[in-house]
Amino acid sequence: MAQTALEARAELDPRPLMIGEQDDGSLNKSILDFVWAKPSKGWWALFLLGMAGTGLLTMAISVTIGKGIGMWGNNIPVAWAYGIVNFVWWIGIGHAGTLISAILLLFQQKWRTSINRFAEAMTLFAVMQAGLFPILHLGRPWYAYWLFPYPATYHLWPQFKSPLMWDVFAVSTYFISSFLFWYLGLIPDLASLRDSSSTRLKRRVYGVFALGWRGSARHWHHYKIAYLLLAGLCTPLVVSVHTIVSWDFAVAILPGWHTTIFPPYFVAGAVFSGFAMVITLMVPARKVMGLKNVITARHLEAMCKVILVTSMIVGYGYAMEHFFAWYSGNEYEAHVFKNRAVGQFKYVYFMMWTCNVIIPQLFWFRWFRSNIYVMWIISVLINVGMWTERFVIVVTSLQQDYLPSSWADYHPTWVDWSLFTGTLGFFGMLFLLFLKFVPAVALSEVKELRHELEHARREHPEHAHENQPVMDLSEMEGAKP
Amino acid sequence: MSTDAPLIPDDFPRFEGGRTAMLAGAVIGIVSLALTAVGFVGAPQATLLSYLVAFMYWLGIALGALVLLMANHAAGARWNIVVRRLNESIVATTPLYLLLFLPILLGARVIFSWVAPDAAVFGAEGMKLLAHKHAYLNMSAFTLRAAVYFAIWIAVAGLMRGWSIRQDQGGEAQWTRRLRKLGAGGLPFIAYSLTFASFDWLMSLNPLWGSSIFGLYIFAGGFVASIALLCILAALAIRSHAPVGRLINESHLHNLGKYLLAFIAFWAYIAFSQYMLIWVGNLPDEIPWILLRREGGWRWVGVFLIVFHFVVPFLVLLSRDLKRNPRTLAAIAAWVMIVHYVDLYWVVLPVAHAGFHWTAITSFAGVGGLSVAFGIWRLRGGYAVPLRDPYLEDSLRYVQP
Repeated sequence: MAQTALEARAELDPRPLMIGEQDDGSLNKSILDFVWAKPSKGWWALFLLGMAGTGLLTMAISVTIGKGIGMWGNNIPVAWAYGIVNFVWWIGIGHAGTLISAILLLFQQKWRTSINRFAEAMTLFAVMQAGLFPILHLGRPWYAYWLFPYPATYHLWPQFKSPLMWDVFAVSTYFISSFLFWYLGLIPDLASLRDSSSTRLKRRVYGVFALGWRGSARHWHHYKIAYLLLAGLCTPLVVSVHTIVSWDFAVAILPGWHTTIFPPYFVAGAVFSGFAMVITLMVPARKVMGLKNVITARHLEAMCKVILVTSMIVGYGYAMEHFFAWYSGNEYEAHVFKNRAVGQFKYVYFMMWTCNVIIPQLFWFRWFRSNIYVMWIISVLINVGMWTERFVIVVTSLQQDYLPSSWADYHPTWVDWSLFTGTLGFFGMLFLLFLKFVPAVALSEVKELRHELEHARREHPEHAHENQPVMDLSEMEGAKP
Repeated sequence: MSTDAPLIPDDFPRFEGGRTAMLAGAVIGIVSLALTAVGFVGAPQATLLSYLVAFMYWLGIALGALVLLMANHAAGARWNIVVRRLNESIVATTPLYLLLFLPILLGARVIFSWVAPDAAVFGAEGMKLLAHKHAYLNMSAFTLRAAVYFAIWIAVAGLMRGWSIRQDQGGEAQWTRRLRKLGAGGLPFIAYSLTFASFDWLMSLNPLWGSSIFGLYIFAGGFVASIALLCILAALAIRSHAPVGRLINESHLHNLGKYLLAFIAFWAYIAFSQYMLIWVGNLPDEIPWILLRREGGWRWVGVFLIVFHFVVPFLVLLSRDLKRNPRTLAAIAAWVMIVHYVDLYWVVLPVAHAGFHWTAITSFAGVGGLSVAFGIWRLRGGYAVPLRDPYLEDSLRYVQP
């Protein structure tokens, strides 16, 4: 039965990017209100929890510095353990932000608009947590500045042949450019906050950070160019950071670490875990903060699809590793993979496969991509799964090396656990402060999107349904009050 | 604009051109393959390796185009619809390679040393490893796997193209829906089959060597070349004033050029990852691959690839104007297609420890001529644009933001 393009499109068009009739005023209100409102009890409760975690972190850091990293569970041969696992886990989470901001911008994906600010902030705070671990792992963190090449009277010079050294530059460059990207995007919104301030003090403070933004055509012109250029420059950075992290392992000739698929497989894993963390944080936040009109089922579904794609790539990485462990005929390589599956950490290995490869397959089905409860649970499991993946890679490859006489089990100590949970608290605290002080959604970009959608609707009224609330959102999210 | 009238009139002409190119391709193809067969008599190994390069080159382009088509459907892309039928016509050549695979299957013994390993060459340790790998590297498994690969490729390619053509009749939404589903759901099958095909047909030329990124490396090269071919077809359509050429605008070319730029960088990333990790590891079971490619002239082929498969096209493609001009974009794309051949040649030929053999040219022209002829033949008689795609309008209106 023949269909006209309009009839076909009515069936095929994606869900709306924005719900309901919005104008600049209503968008201002829905996005800025949370900043101006007094913090709720729930916010305070979470904030105190975050403070408690930060306290725990401070204590664990003090113990580590005061007594040395002998307080950790590391041993010989497992000389790398939680410190590196947590570093890689956090830095991986830090990849979603710049990917959403930069790569999706270059791909002209409009759905990035409502979630980029959120993800970028997450990136910054995650990279901060990540940075703590290698510095503490130095053992004498007060000498951390030795990592930088400077004309020292001791004639100290960093070992430039080591990927650990490249990490120093990659991660610090990444942090700086992600911060600039985030801040540049914030400027118009800071000006909006300045303009809607209720007191003189607030106006002054936001005014200073808005750098005199007036929203003139000239400002926008420069702003757009700078933003696109930064996006282009950040794209190779996103790829480079986790590539270099993968080299920390692959450059070594250790079985389980040395394999050529590592760079792309690590990058995909980073994006995978980053998107999972965005969903973990965003699903509750959009509900509490009343952002459901701008972060719609369409956004969440798109993120679930990115998670599915990256999960497939991570699964491909596992498949290649395992195939070559057998195909190479190298008995040490084969032993490492056997030890992963049946050794001390077989349950961790089992979790890795289940959470990272098997469970995300549910996202092939639309129902799972549309149910926020299911989606949230899966995203948490992926966060767990990606932590176990790094654990499996780091610990099980070291545990049983070439000499059976030097094999050892590994047991993390309370300091290891405190450092890890402490960073979770610190991260949460920073994130809550972010939600409270700046708009969690890029207001100016959402306004621009609304204008574009309205413009398109006026020019082509026949496609009006694309921007109409075709369905009530609550219908799509399953059981819901 | 009125809403219900078709965007493209019903009398939009069907594609009937390319007759000369088709006939020329067929003649060149058959004659060249006949010459290649003659070459085989004199130098079986060099000829069959040259043929393998040509086969993987054109097959890689067809499969690269298939991945591009599927990924665009999976993502619900709209801008590419005006060039989609051209993309599909590259995909349409897939079944031809089943036939062209036969010489490789029949001559496997000549080029794959694992078929009948020589203990004098491999030594005791090598023979032990080969015995371990025998479960994978044996002729029955090799043949069976090839059958599975071709079954997947021909089925998916046929459906992806067939459903699109069926939509030309009535423009029903169900075809778009099916294409999106297969586009997404089929990609893992293509990814794994292409990976293991590259292991079977290229990596196993040195059966003791392995690299877990190799499948991605071969895919990346074929993908770049398929985008390049699509750029050339789009530019040709514009310059020849074909009806479809009047629908393709600068913004479409610009996007194709961006794809080319991005995936040239991707190829370089994968190539560098493989080379650097093997070089720095310097392990006895991996390093021979690099050592072999540092002997004699091969070293300079490697340098050539760095400069002309990455640095130069990357820098040139940064220019916005060059991407938006059909003539310059096609010139760059043609260059990329040439260097991709050099890349595959560099992957395959060093195993033979022999110089250039003239069958490299005849087999390239043979497989290529038949591919071009077959592709045009399958495009003829149909529409060169998916004229009832519900989103065609968005593609026609597409402008670079």
